[in-house]
Amino acid sequence: MPEIAGVGPARARRPFFGRLAEQYRTSNKVGYVMVLPYIAHFLLFTAYPLVFALILVFNRWDIVTPMEFIGLRNIQRLFRDATFWTAVVNTLKFLCCHIPLQIVLSLLIAVILNGPIKFRSFFRGAFFLPFVISGAVVTILWQQLYSTDAGILNLILTRIGMQPVPWLTDPAWAIYSIAIMATWKNMGFYIVLFLAGLQNVPPELYEAASIDGANRTQQFWGITLPLLQPVMLLVVILSTIGGFSLFIEPFVMTGGGPAESTLSVVLYLYKQAFQFLRMGYAATIGFALAIMIFIVTFIQRRLLDTDQPV
Amino acid sequence: MRNLTKALGYILLTIAALTFIYPFLWMASASLKPENEIGTLALISRNFSLRGYSAVFKQIPIGRALFNSGFVSITSTASVLVLSSMVGYALARLRFVGRDSIFNLVLLTMMIPGQLLLIPMYILVVRLGWTDSYRALIIPALISNMGIIVFRQFFKSLPQDLVDAARIDGCSDYRILFQIFWPLSKPVLITVGIITFIGSWNEVLWPLIVIRRWSMMTMPQMVTLFHVGGLAGAQVAAEMAAAMMLALPVIVAYLFFQRYFIESLALSGIKG
Amino acid sequence: MRINFRSTMVALLAVTLACVLSVGAMGAKAPVTLSFWPSSNPQEIEFAKIIVKAWNDAHPDIQVKMEPLPASRSTEEVLLAAIAAGTTPDICANIYPGAISQYIAGKGLYPHDTLPGFYDFIYARTPKDVVDAFTYKDGHVYQIPWKGNPIMLAYNVKLLRANGIDPKSLATYSGFLAAAERMVKDLDGDGRPDQWLYAPTVDVTWWQRLFDFYTLYIGASGGKTLLSGGKVDFENDAAEQVFAFLQTIFKKGLCPKGAMIGDAFLSGKIGSTITGPWSVPYYDQNAPEGFEYDFVPIPVPDGVQGPVITFGDPKNIGIFANSKHPLEAWEFVKFIMSRENDLLWLKITSQPPYRRGIAKDPLFVGYFEKNPMMATFVEQGVYTRGVDDSKYLIEIFDTISKQYDLCCVQGRKAPKAAVRDAAQAVRDILAGW
Repeated sequence: MPEIAGVGPARARRPFFGRLAEQYRTSNKVGYVMVLPYIAHFLLFTAYPLVFALILVFNRWDIVTPMEFIGLRNIQRLFRDATFWTAVVNTLKFLCCHIPLQIVLSLLIAVILNGPIKFRSFFRGAFFLPFVISGAVVTILWQQLYSTDAGILNLILTRIGMQPVPWLTDPAWAIYSIAIMATWKNMGFYIVLFLAGLQNVPPELYEAASIDGANRTQQFWGITLPLLQPVMLLVVILSTIGGFSLFIEPFVMTGGGPAESTLSVVLYLYKQAFQFLRMGYAATIGFALAIMIFIVTFIQRRLLDTDQPV
Repeated sequence: MRNLTKALGYILLTIAALTFIYPFLWMASASLKPENEIGTLALISRNFSLRGYSAVFKQIPIGRALFNSGFVSITSTASVLVLSSMVGYALARLRFVGRDSIFNLVLLTMMIPGQLLLIPMYILVVRLGWTDSYRALIIPALISNMGIIVFRQFFKSLPQDLVDAARIDGCSDYRILFQIFWPLSKPVLITVGIITFIGSWNEVLWPLIVIRRWSMMTMPQMVTLFHVGGLAGAQVAAEMAAAMMLALPVIVAYLFFQRYFIESLALSGIKG
Repeated sequence: MRINFRSTMVALLAVTLACVLSVGAMGAKAPVTLSFWPSSNPQEIEFAKIIVKAWNDAHPDIQVKMEPLPASRSTEEVLLAAIAAGTTPDICANIYPGAISQYIAGKGLYPHDTLPGFYDFIYARTPKDVVDAFTYKDGHVYQIPWKGNPIMLAYNVKLLRANGIDPKSLATYSGFLAAAERMVKDLDGDGRPDQWLYAPTVDVTWWQRLFDFYTLYIGASGGKTLLSGGKVDFENDAAEQVFAFLQTIFKKGLCPKGAMIGDAFLSGKIGSTITGPWSVPYYDQNAPEGFEYDFVPIPVPDGVQGPVITFGDPKNIGIFANSKHPLEAWEFVKFIMSRENDLLWLKITSQPPYRRGIAKDPLFVGYFEKNPMMATFVEQGVYTRGVDDSKYLIEIFDTISKQYDLCCVQGRKAPKAAVRDAAQAVRDILAGW
């Protein structure tokens, strides 16, 4: 930026604000006008809410009566609140089922699709379909499929001689049923990500490997997987954020039950805020959620991002 | 051996594709079936009727919701395209003090999870008196950080000669952006447009919080409440019909613009 | 300079226009518009449409605009948000007394007793003890008692007869459970039962507990509510008996496991259900040919004496403090609650209004003769309780719902422990952590 930078020694001696004023004088003023919508939006819908959320953490407030300062009691409550921790554990259970399932299945299909396949775009399109459709539709649909007594999933299971599964009625199953549904909904998206990653693998690497006598399986483990690591990281992080944001699925399917087994953190936040009108506590949960997402994705980055710069 | 693995691949793919398509066909079929046939696997019934759909129209103002959703999604998408490209242009092509700080701010705010801002945003909307109005749905969505980043990146790649030539002709920056850059940016406009539109069309948590009156509800919200609230009177066909009406516009658009959808949304994952 | 000139012109024009408009408004006296939110139940909407039309035709200067409350969201949530946002309607006809203290704390409701002729009107229509029950502790009346729905047990007459069950035997827990065991049958021979006496819901939404645990608790305790003097009043045998009763039904497999498709009562899959008079028009419209049903009081534990007391599910009408036209709103409210409209209301919704001597009122006698079932509800209406007045009521019911799920549905907890834990959690809430 030569025209803004000014000239060497004279610039260095000038006071900071003078320098800024000089730079401002040479700035393109249209630029300020053009970023104004962003600044306004940022101040109103990011900065203000952020500050307000922080204030709420230290207050009790039901919106209709005046706010009441309660110090750290919301935070103390959070640590003692068994229901909140149940929701956190539910999220972790969800992630432990969802992420491995997601990676294995989407990678498998992506590898097949990456081969010389006819109708590739048809298949890709079919897998991607659930991803573009509203979560509300998918959830309402799957609630029918999952119905213990009347659902077609159990109908198929009993037809092939298996026991019906209490998909959403048994606390041991429910969160995993939701994880399976979420995998189904998002798989197309991750297939496309993996496909893009696979197409970036230079073919020379495979040629060299087959000259060295490595078979397909060895090539997959030795070349493909390591090169897919950045995509893998992306898949893990996006699924994690998605898992922590779980709301509409339990909201529609189970209301958080049975026995709180599908209560998600966002659903709990929603209940605290809009059923019990505990805005302060709900904001505290929001902060806790943001911190957890940050920590978990940070750990994931550390673990998966060993040597490859992304 | 090769043929065998190939056949296996096709079989696997076909089964997988079926599990992705069949539920939607089942839903379409269930929305047309009489109640007592819904629990079956068959997709075709001799007793198809539109009773489920007429029940939906009778019980909830779904036409209004369709309009609300369309209006909100189209307005916010149009605004995101205009405003985000403007900010993206300024950040990519204009020199001014604080430009890089603003760009860093955009990157930083993208990392804030939405749930953190949910409660204070709701309170803000309540205080502004925007609940139960289009303002609550549209104004917070007028501009998008993702859009700014995508536009900035694309505009940076356009040649400087274009800008210089236009300046010599006396074009303002607005004309350069909308008359020279926009026509060259169709793929980016489509990408940002699709991501924004789909996101807005499918959004359910935010309307659920700020809209409470039937006449202002969006489609996903109304369909969800129709289902959860038991208004459907446990008529599965009606619930499926409502869900179909929510899904159908997106499915049709998807069938026509499949490639754009996939590329755009995959990009949203990489940028997000 | 040109821009300045233009903006000045625009401003001038705007001011002129505003003046013209306001002068016009002063001259013509624009009609008052009242917004009115009824419940979203189809019958109540039908009633609202009829009376709004009748009112609007008769009062061109006071027009009422009606918009039903969204179903499925609780009315409380909607109204509280509206109070907070200052977007309340003038009148709402679905005020649930359990949430009233929050509305009052938010200065949302109009003190109705200050309206002209309030007590004259209200005492002429409603028994004094009912009015007293809805008078707030500061002496004001923030809600106008309107109607109640005594909760009772509906049963399928033919189905019970076919299984040799006397509906009177359902009056006690032991009789009910014995009948429930008799009713469980596998009719289509697929190895799974498809007929039951009763299907308690597994839904954990807080208000579901109003119609199972809470209703049964009022019956079992001889008319107690959850709180007394602001303190927990349900850590007792009655609450444990209710939990144990519901737990037994789930544990012994006396009810279906998951949610059922369609209305299980009308399709004859279950023989009885706990519900209120609002179900009557619904049953009459949706029941299959030849379906016969009737109502008996809810079951109580063996040994409970005296008439069975039940949940009265009161719903009142309120004018909001934000209303610019409280006097006009009050006129409309009086119109809704007039004798003729009470009859119309009863005919359309089958929900008994709080009207003095209704069973003997000549205007209503014909109706009760034609609908003896409704006379049953009016009789039961004398023995009802409402809900406690606490701003934590939803949270309290949510707490109980959690224990209901663990103890009754999942069977993971003894009733005694469930009641103890619920009581402890409620004490914690009341202490205002």
